[in-house]
Amino acid sequence: MPLEPSSGRLEAEALAKAPAERYDRVVRLAQAIFGAPIAALNLVGTESQYTVASVGYPTGSIPVEESVCRVTVGQDEILEVRDLREDPRFASIPAVAGPPRVRFYAGVPVHGQSGQAIGTLCIFDLVPRELGRTQREMLGDLGAVLERELAVQEEMALAGQVQRLMLPSEPPDLPGIEVAGRVQPAREAGGDFYDWLVIDDRYGDRQLQVVLGDVMGKGLPASLIASEVRAVLRGHSRYYDIGGAVRSTSQTTRHDLEANGRFSTLWAGRVDPASGRLSYVDAGHGLAIIAGPRGPRRLIQEYLPLGTFIEDTWMQASDTLAEDELLVIVSDGVFDVLGDDYDVALTKLPAILDPGLSCAEIVDIVVDYAVSHDATDDVTAVVARRTGEDRS
Amino acid sequence: MFYEEKDAGGYVALVPEGKFNLVSAPPLKARIDDLVREGKARIVVDLSAVDFIDSSGLGALIGGLKAARQQGGDLRIAAAGDQVKAVLKLTNLDRILSPYATVEEARHGW
Repeated sequence: MPLEPSSGRLEAEALAKAPAERYDRVVRLAQAIFGAPIAALNLVGTESQYTVASVGYPTGSIPVEESVCRVTVGQDEILEVRDLREDPRFASIPAVAGPPRVRFYAGVPVHGQSGQAIGTLCIFDLVPRELGRTQREMLGDLGAVLERELAVQEEMALAGQVQRLMLPSEPPDLPGIEVAGRVQPAREAGGDFYDWLVIDDRYGDRQLQVVLGDVMGKGLPASLIASEVRAVLRGHSRYYDIGGAVRSTSQTTRHDLEANGRFSTLWAGRVDPASGRLSYVDAGHGLAIIAGPRGPRRLIQEYLPLGTFIEDTWMQASDTLAEDELLVIVSDGVFDVLGDDYDVALTKLPAILDPGLSCAEIVDIVVDYAVSHDATDDVTAVVARRTGEDRS
Repeated sequence: MFYEEKDAGGYVALVPEGKFNLVSAPPLKARIDDLVREGKARIVVDLSAVDFIDSSGLGALIGGLKAARQQGGDLRIAAAGDQVKAVLKLTNLDRILSPYATVEEARHGW
């Protein structure tokens, strides 16, 4: 019988998918303090129990019906069972009736941000035993320490979600151009971002603005700055050409970048779907190309990133994106796995130049390649191409 | 990561080793800030033993350069390896942090 879905169960399901290394220390401590052969952090979902950190027992999942911890979570207080064989609720579950034939159980519920119990810190022994009062208190204390770790993990995951939701989720409302992007942060959140938006210029022309930025550093601190750079550039983009938008963004963000000792590389360009006319600024990013059957060309300039103590001029350059060409922008997380070598990067281009591939498929090829080659940094790619549909 | 420090009188050489990244860059940056505060604003970072630099490492160098220049000094880098040079070039940061071949060349004039 699956458990009732509730915010506690859903939190457990979400956390079961998140990195769990941060819980190992507390679980090891519990195992050592109680001298028990098995200690674990079990998260109780609706249909499964997930062992996300453990000593003496493999991590993984079991059906929730076979779990002892579901009872601990249900009663929301410490559960201690001297001998599981003597309790009809547990006597026939596989871990008691079969290997490893556990006998003793003690578990303390741990709570998520909803306030509901989401799992337990528990210990098992292969012989019947009892905890003293001090030991029960200690189990409670360790549970509280673990709760704080879970709260940090959940907070990080939510911050990552906020950042993901700020990425463009819809194709641009602009015929004649196809665009896709993906970012894979090294941690829950990160300093890489991409963006696109449709710019209506004063002549009534509509262009697609495509942006890829990389704020130095990783994780939550970098993501805060990335959100700012993205938002400020969006704001200025309505009023300026791309060069002006980048210069204004530098002025507006300068204090915050410098105060935090961080810089941001930025590649920002605008494509006219009808003519293929492209204007762009490369602020120390260096990783944008146009690729196509006539060979690749880099869209790079000599400008500094934003946030160094030098105000650069960031004048826009121009090019033309032909209909059989791709605009490809990646972050240095991709470049790293190619040995930071442009010539090596070029050898990978043929794999993405098949005209039958959609931009989303190309982005996946690039990001998956970097991730599968142990990228340690955030990994981001944006790809755009003209589709020739806009002949108005 | 560890770094060595050599006070040569006219300048201070800092010699980080291994990966110069999110983990190892902050302590070196803190040391540069302390040196600048003590009035030792002529600094050479000898990168000969660094095999990898990331954006946090670059950030520490740029931040150190800014601090040193504000006190009338400078921060110069020497003996950068291929990966370090590639990253400096990619980001155009070699424009403000130009790599010298050796510490001797970097300290020229100090």
